[in-house]
Amino acid sequence: MMMDAPWVVAHVERPNAPAPSPTASARLNDALKLAEQLGGSTVVLTGDDLVTSTLDYARLNNVTQIVVGKSSHPRRNPFRKTLITSLLEASKGAALHVITEQAEAEAVAPRPARRSLASWPWAGQLGALGLVGLSTAVAFLTDRISDDANLAMFFMLGVLASGLTLGLWPALTAAAVSAFVYNFFFLDPRLTIWIGHPADVLTFAVFFVAALITGWLTGRVRDQGRAVSRRAAAVAALLAASRRLSSAVGHEAAAQVLAEQLAAATNGAAVVLTPSDDDIVLTAATPALEALPSVDLAAARWAWEKGEPAGAGTGTLPNSAWTFRPLQGGRARAGVAGVEPHAVHAEEDERFVGALLDQGAVALERAEFAAQAADAQALLRSDRLRSALLNSVSHDLRTPLSTVLGSVTTLLDYGKSLDKAVQRDLMLSIREEAERLNRYVGDLLDMTRLEGGALVTRREWVDLRDVLGAAVDRVTRRLESRQVVRDFPPELTMVKADPSLLEQALVNILENAIAYSQDGSRIEVAAYEDRANVVIAIEDEGRGIPTAQLEQVFEKFRRMEESTDRGKGAGLGLAISKGFVEAMGGRIAAASPIHDGRGTRILISLPKERQTPEQLL
Amino acid sequence: MSAHKPRVLVIDDEPQIHRFLGPALEAAGYEHVRAETATEGLREIARKAPDAVVLDLGLPDMDGKQALEKARAFYDGPILILSARDRETEKIDALDLGADDYVEKPFGVGELLARLRVAMRHRLQRVGAAPIIEVGDLKIDMIKRLVSRAGAPLHLSPKEYDLLVQLVEGGGKVVTHRQLLTAVWGPAHTEDVQYLRVFIAQLRQKIEPDPAVPTLIATEPGVGYRWLA
Repeated sequence: MMMDAPWVVAHVERPNAPAPSPTASARLNDALKLAEQLGGSTVVLTGDDLVTSTLDYARLNNVTQIVVGKSSHPRRNPFRKTLITSLLEASKGAALHVITEQAEAEAVAPRPARRSLASWPWAGQLGALGLVGLSTAVAFLTDRISDDANLAMFFMLGVLASGLTLGLWPALTAAAVSAFVYNFFFLDPRLTIWIGHPADVLTFAVFFVAALITGWLTGRVRDQGRAVSRRAAAVAALLAASRRLSSAVGHEAAAQVLAEQLAAATNGAAVVLTPSDDDIVLTAATPALEALPSVDLAAARWAWEKGEPAGAGTGTLPNSAWTFRPLQGGRARAGVAGVEPHAVHAEEDERFVGALLDQGAVALERAEFAAQAADAQALLRSDRLRSALLNSVSHDLRTPLSTVLGSVTTLLDYGKSLDKAVQRDLMLSIREEAERLNRYVGDLLDMTRLEGGALVTRREWVDLRDVLGAAVDRVTRRLESRQVVRDFPPELTMVKADPSLLEQALVNILENAIAYSQDGSRIEVAAYEDRANVVIAIEDEGRGIPTAQLEQVFEKFRRMEESTDRGKGAGLGLAISKGFVEAMGGRIAAASPIHDGRGTRILISLPKERQTPEQLL
Repeated sequence: MSAHKPRVLVIDDEPQIHRFLGPALEAAGYEHVRAETATEGLREIARKAPDAVVLDLGLPDMDGKQALEKARAFYDGPILILSARDRETEKIDALDLGADDYVEKPFGVGELLARLRVAMRHRLQRVGAAPIIEVGDLKIDMIKRLVSRAGAPLHLSPKEYDLLVQLVEGGGKVVTHRQLLTAVWGPAHTEDVQYLRVFIAQLRQKIEPDPAVPTLIATEPGVGYRWLA
């Protein structure tokens, strides 16, 4: 076969064929899953005829090579053609490959003991006998009253009733017993098994056959109805479980849901173990469980490593209290689930648990992928932040240093030939840049304090007007010809705050206002109060902040990237202001534009204390 | 040189850089022309025809390399790059694209002016390059392709000789690995920096008075080599 060619494993489901045994379905499921893990795709076809279905699919999908396995079982019907012969005769345009079975007996599916025979419900048989007795009694009474009543009908009713209420085998029992009783009690000569009248022989024969057919039909109808409703219930339960599993967010939540669903399905306890650092650990349990004993853990580990069931009821470590089964996901093993061994009884339950395990494996796997994706995202974000930090530090430290070094060397090398005014200007620029450097280092230190959790606030009673005044004084030299307008009320409630942190927060906001507004414009600082808060507002007449970026202005290193913004700082100022204000229990917000599409307003609100110092006096 | 003061165009978006470079250049006898964006800088190159250009790579409106390429399309004079250490690759690319030299921020004006002088001298040399170069007792005759020390001929392999000529013709400015490899070994070997390590070492053995303390060929780590004489 060509390497890397796409390949498909097809399974033909025949609606009219008897249901396969659980072992056979399990083997089929395993085979399909294995095919998917090996990179093939799987398809389940429905059709009465294996050969036609297969070949139709092959033709529609341009399959060029068909591989079939040759069974070494002796043919049950020597007159029927084997699958291979039929395929060979019917196939056109596709090569047929036949793989013979291994000689090992291991490959043959163990045929399960015919459980249905062994577990005959004797109650059903007794019920059938009871119904026959009832028919007999009614027939007896009718026989007394009327001579020529057709008594066979009563027995037929009994058989029908047995079939409908008790199932196939009780119905057949009822048919046989009814035939005997009918003959013994009601066909002449009575109370013998002999039949005197030749016509009665015919009646008896017809009755017997009709009773058998009736019993068989009604019994089957009833059994199938039961099976259908059981299956529908199982499907509904599985659907509900799958819905819960798929809505579980996160690895542990998925494991917990799986444990709950397994516990409910098996009417017992369930545990789920998932991988963590090359080992598996108990992730979820219903009912809650702290840890597993070492023997159970060993069985779980075995199931995890080998991908086969282990623990109670299996050949491996059967003294464990649990039966562990691997959770085989689409690509890898997602974990191990354990249930109590006595919990699983019927085949339906078994199948349901199997399906639940599959669903759980997929859910766990998906949660794992989601977590990995989130990790990658976070890593990318922190990476971007780090490179932004590096760029910023590199640019913001180096630019003032360049100016200082350049100015100093100019003064050293050419100082004598420079005008006094130029010399003074160079010295001023050295001072300005040294101050800028100092501010920047201060910002970095503040940020480190904030992020390192080393920020200690010393809160005392402060009048916000004083702090605002001090902050404005600190930036006066940088204002150039910008005008600061103060709008303070004559009375303002004092709040508890750290005056130095608050001053730094206000200075950062004022510096921002200066950096982003034109020389000669106005900066307004106001203070006012409402019932619960004292509020500071700082407004500039700069170009404002686009609405989309309003929420990000308080993030670190968020400097609006525009050509003229270079050299305005690292983009740390507002982030520090926010950190400081929040450390004091206050809130900070930005609004922009505030008038005529321009201007930015930063609001800081600090909560009032219940008792003011005036009241305390 | 013409009668007017040599004109230097500084393209940098930091006003503080102009604030000290202006007086420094004036004091050193240059005329200072300033531009704050690449677009403005390109316009000034076209209008004022400066004798040298100082170009900051981190300009707001255009990638530094792009600005350099555009300038080189119509300007042949010396271009000096101002760069930061974290923009290493950008700096090398700029040199490969035809920048003459670079100065790393932060820098002293003395260093910048020295580099500027070298770059301008090199441009003048190129116009009338001397066929015979003498450094101490080392003599390089580019017409006869002979190298000798104190009259005694030195035996250089053809590759060693080509390498030496490339460096000497650089005239004191840095010659990048890529430029050397392309000129001597051809464009297929632009990444084979190990050739240079070997051949530069051999060249130093033959021409340097003390190969352990090179005085003729300086290494610019990660960038290239420079002829010091």
